Amino acid sequence: MARPRVYIDTDILIIGGGTAGCLAAWEARNVGGPRLKITILEKGFIRHSGCLAAGMNALNMYLNQGTPEDYVRYVRYDMGGAPIREDILLSVAREVNETVAIMEAQGLPIKKRPDGKYLNRGKWNIEVNGALLKPITAGMAYQANAEIYNRVYVTDLLKKDGRCVGAVGFGIRDGKFYIARARAVLVCAGGAAGLWRPRNGGDAHHRIWYYPFNCGSSYAVAKRAGAEMTGFDMRLVTLRTKDTYSPTGTLAIGVGAPMVNAAGEAFMKEREEYVKLGGHTAPTIYRLWAAMREIEEHRGPIYMDTRKGNPQRVAGLKAQYLDMAPIIVLYWGAHDLDPAREPIEIDADSPVLVGAHAGVTGIWTTGTTRMSTVPGLFASGEALGQAPSRFISGSWTCGRIAARHMVEYVRQNPEPVELEEAELARLEAEIFAPLERWDQAGRAGRLFTSGKPIEGILPREMEERMQNVMEEYAGGRARLFYVNETHLNIAGKHINRLRREQLQYLMARDLHELQLAWDVIHRLECCQLVVEHINYRKETRYPGYVNRSDYPEKNDAEYDCFINSVWDPATDRITFIKRPYEQIVPGDRTRESI
Amino acid sequence: MPPYVIPEKCDACQGEEEPLCVQVCPGDLMMVDPASNKAICREPGDCWDCMICVKSCTRQAVQTVIQYQLAPVPAKLIPLIRPDAITWTLVDCHGRIERFVMKTLTGEEEEEV
Repeated sequence: MARPRVYIDTDILIIGGGTAGCLAAWEARNVGGPRLKITILEKGFIRHSGCLAAGMNALNMYLNQGTPEDYVRYVRYDMGGAPIREDILLSVAREVNETVAIMEAQGLPIKKRPDGKYLNRGKWNIEVNGALLKPITAGMAYQANAEIYNRVYVTDLLKKDGRCVGAVGFGIRDGKFYIARARAVLVCAGGAAGLWRPRNGGDAHHRIWYYPFNCGSSYAVAKRAGAEMTGFDMRLVTLRTKDTYSPTGTLAIGVGAPMVNAAGEAFMKEREEYVKLGGHTAPTIYRLWAAMREIEEHRGPIYMDTRKGNPQRVAGLKAQYLDMAPIIVLYWGAHDLDPAREPIEIDADSPVLVGAHAGVTGIWTTGTTRMSTVPGLFASGEALGQAPSRFISGSWTCGRIAARHMVEYVRQNPEPVELEEAELARLEAEIFAPLERWDQAGRAGRLFTSGKPIEGILPREMEERMQNVMEEYAGGRARLFYVNETHLNIAGKHINRLRREQLQYLMARDLHELQLAWDVIHRLECCQLVVEHINYRKETRYPGYVNRSDYPEKNDAEYDCFINSVWDPATDRITFIKRPYEQIVPGDRTRESI
Repeated sequence: MPPYVIPEKCDACQGEEEPLCVQVCPGDLMMVDPASNKAICREPGDCWDCMICVKSCTRQAVQTVIQYQLAPVPAKLIPLIRPDAITWTLVDCHGRIERFVMKTLTGEEEEEV
């Protein structure tokens, strides 16, 4: 069935109206002038979608002191000395404070100290009243006079003669086939949650830390377009408040609550094996590893001992959480739990793929241009790989930097290309296939009495199958984040079977379910990269995040580098490329300077 | 902490093209129930608890309910939206009430910290 079409013609196409995308639109207007056409395709509704939907109470990248080089040293240290793209991080660190000032002028309330300076929370963070962080961010895209399409799901990028020239997708509310032709395309559609089995089931299965509607589309569309992908051999695992999986920085940095085990032992400070990793200020990666080891050795549960934090700050905890994760305030009320009286239990949430938080997953880019190995395709926010710990303020900044390079690229490549109808028709058929299958099964009455299709699989069923495979065989929380080659080979077999043989059964009963169908397709694209990348890195460089039980040590001779891959659509194989780490900021990589 | 809609309060935002909660939900989860012509969360388990639907509702018809698998009843958390602040009311399991006023936009007066 031919669907109604929406044709969009633009200079700059931004996929994902989030933290990076909105600021990219704003900067593109500033440097590109009033005639530049800027378009945003957004899966949700731009004022309230994405990681910032519930708000945020701090900006976790800000140079309260020191230099951009000091920030790079801190991030390097926090990753346990693993390779990072120092060039990219430096470019962000040089502009991040300016970006924060721009956002304050837009109305973002930033807390102040008596001397008028921003109130810092730890070394590199500042506190904000960020309940309206997303509407304020979206305001930048409105100001830029960008053409914003809400509720459009991008399924694939368009390429012509090796260049990225647009994207296609479907309207989640209108069911139309969207075709966007562009001179430069920015992918900034978030990271990936929901690859592994969530900690809670049933009506709490999205009670996770990371935004569950980020399902790896950034990575999937870039991979399918042949871009070089990086860092899927690492995933972020976070320690969060048990049950609600709310952020814990507010507890650790905000009130200075120490991590303790069941015996009340502040193990990071008291156990020698952890003291030598840095004690209670050890890199995030080691603190997670240590907490999981305590659980593994039956010294759990693990708590943040808020009774030992700064009492004034503990008293303000509920207010702080209301700006970011109101659920925990209700949870405390429901349990009659007062953090001043009892410690807060924490546990590891399921792994996620991110590039802008303390993760390195994403699209590989050239220099500081934010352009991928596919000309015309740019990346920012979580989609940008190997430049961790940019967080919100760094992603805003990164969006701005990407936009400047995109405007320059558009100036150099002004010629529009003609899209091929045969290719568009093929993509259209693929996009709507799950709906068509349901229509055919329903019309022919091939349903069980319950209404379930006899030969069809619904998106939720496939998602659960994928999550089971990843949890059991790709190092989920159930396996304490350990894997070995045997596990990974099993995971690879099942994931590829889903991708190659099972998608033909995937059905969607309505447009909302078509969105869920594409969520699982995109997640499966990420799973393939994760399994193969972890299998390729035969060492343990990110203990806690990825523990190779068959290769428990670091192997600097082989793997002190970035691991990148390119997917071949003809063979469905992945080719690996090792890219060297380039140390720009001198010094010991395992030490911070401030 | 999925949203549930109180039928007496919801009028599906008469006059709006789409009810506000349907407009804003990042997960495309709020919809108009054809049977009752009132808003409904189509899949409570898919909700991320961002509470935008609750905050957007001008009639306070959307109530957030914590999943029973995570916490017992009957505590409540209710935001009241003002132009530059949110007043939150927490009613805990013993019926005790706590109120919090959280600034949302920069204004004339700086909040004390």
